[in-house]
Parts: sequence; structure tokens; C-alpha cells
Amino acid sequence: MNCRECKEHLYEYLDRELTPGVAEEIRQHIAECPPCGENFDFEKVFLTFLRARCRAQGASPDLRRRILDELFDE
Amino acid sequence: MTPPIPPSPPTPPPPASSPAAEAEKRASFEREALVHLDSLYRVALRLTANPAEADDLVQETMLKAYRAWHQFEKGTNAKGWLLTILRHAFINEYRRRTRHPETVDIDAIEPYSVFEEIQDEDPQGTFFDRIVDDEVLRAIDTLPEQFRETVVLSDVEGMSYEEIARVLEVPVGTVKSRLFRARRLLQQKLYDYAVGMGYIRGAAK
Repeated sequence: MNCRECKEHLYEYLDRELTPGVAEEIRQHIAECPPCGENFDFEKVFLTFLRARCRAQGASPDLRRRILDELFDE
Repeated sequence: MTPPIPPSPPTPPPPASSPAAEAEKRASFEREALVHLDSLYRVALRLTANPAEADDLVQETMLKAYRAWHQFEKGTNAKGWLLTILRHAFINEYRRRTRHPETVDIDAIEPYSVFEEIQDEDPQGTFFDRIVDDEVLRAIDTLPEQFRETVVLSDVEGMSYEEIARVLEVPVGTVKSRLFRARRLLQQKLYDYAVGMGYIRGAAK
């Protein structure tokens, strides 16, 4: 697998959406190719950051109460 | 002449509501559907970009879901089922009011790779640490809608490509390509923000 093909599968690899065979080819490539390795690490940092920043908000207690009232207290 | 076959009823009606059946319906709805309330709210908020509209959209979704609960195949993916209901409600009723229909041709968007811009200055992406939650959410809200919903289902809700494809009713390949471009575009917006704030110098343009 060359660098371009490897980068095309970058997110699929990080999202664990590839078949084991293809994932293994990428693992080998990035282990042997420092620029691709750095690029993958950078994208991994980005995805971790993105997930950490977006999880906090949830439904308010008020919304939960409104829904329970509407559904169950008729 | 054979008598016509009577049409079969479309779906079995919900069982006549005995108190016991109602209690069981309520218990299973709480167990399998209401546990996803926070997820529904997060997605609704990103779709509507308005907390009051998001509340209404979620409430309406839960009401529709409860009425249709006998049609939900118990034990399957309730989160996906609920998000599909939510998304349809949004498209049919809210989008027209809250946002203008999309005029962006997302296929024409080919964002560049931020890593290539920044690999000499900050290859480990430490500048991301300085960007706060609100700024990330604001950046997500400026993505074209098809990108926004894909990123939210993937990176906010942690769904698989297959699950996302089912909710958005597109092929898995479309999810892959949208997610790739959506994340790159988002990254680019955050990078431009970080340069603007002086968190990083950025490449000379």
C-alpha cells in the first residue's frame, strides 16, 4: 500500500471500519513510513479532541419532565 | 369464483390497553427509548441550532415514538430508530422554519489537509487543546447540513458507518465520503480560528 492509498483510508482506519486485512496493511505502512505515521497521529488527536469537546450537553431536567408528563400522565 | 381475500390489517393494533399492558409498555419505553434522551437532544440541538426548537423537536420525537412503540422491534437498535423519527420530523416541520434549504453543493467541497499546513509548526496538533467546547460546537454549526448531521452522528454520538447510513438513508460509501470531507472542513475552520486567535502562527498564505 502506498502513501496516497493509505491516507484515503485514514478515517476508516481510525474509526475501525476496515476489514482486518486492510487494517493490517495500513498498520504496517504507518509503522514503516514516518510521515504517514505522524499524519495518522495528528488525525487521531483531532478525533479524540472532537469527541471530548462535544459530549457534555444533554437534555435538561425540565425537558425530561415535560416528556414524562406528556407520555405518562394522561 | 373464489371470494376475495380480505386485506390483512397493516400492522397489528396495539393490544387493548389493560393496566398491566400499559405498565409494561411504559417500562420497556423507559428502558429502551428514554435512555437515549441526551443523544436525541444533542443531535436536535445541532440540527436546529436553537435550544427551544431542540426541546420541542425531541418532545415531538418521543411522543411519536411512544405512539408507534408497538412497531419497534424490541431488542434492535432503538437509538437509530429514534434518530430516524427525529430526523424526519426535523426535515418535515422544522427545517423550513429554522434554516433555509441548503444551497451549498457539498460535492464541490474538497478541503485541504490541515496536517500538511502545520506539520512543521505543530505536527502533534497541540493547538487543539486551546480551543474550547463552545468554539467547536459553533464550528460544527457552520458546516453544511449534510456534513453536520454526519459528523454529529459519528463524532458526537459514536455511531458506526452502517448505523449512520441507516439513519440518513444513504449508502455507506456516501457516509464515508461525507465524513472525510466534513471532518477536514471542520478541522480547517478550527485551524483558521486558532490562527486568528494567535494560538499558532499558521502557514504563510
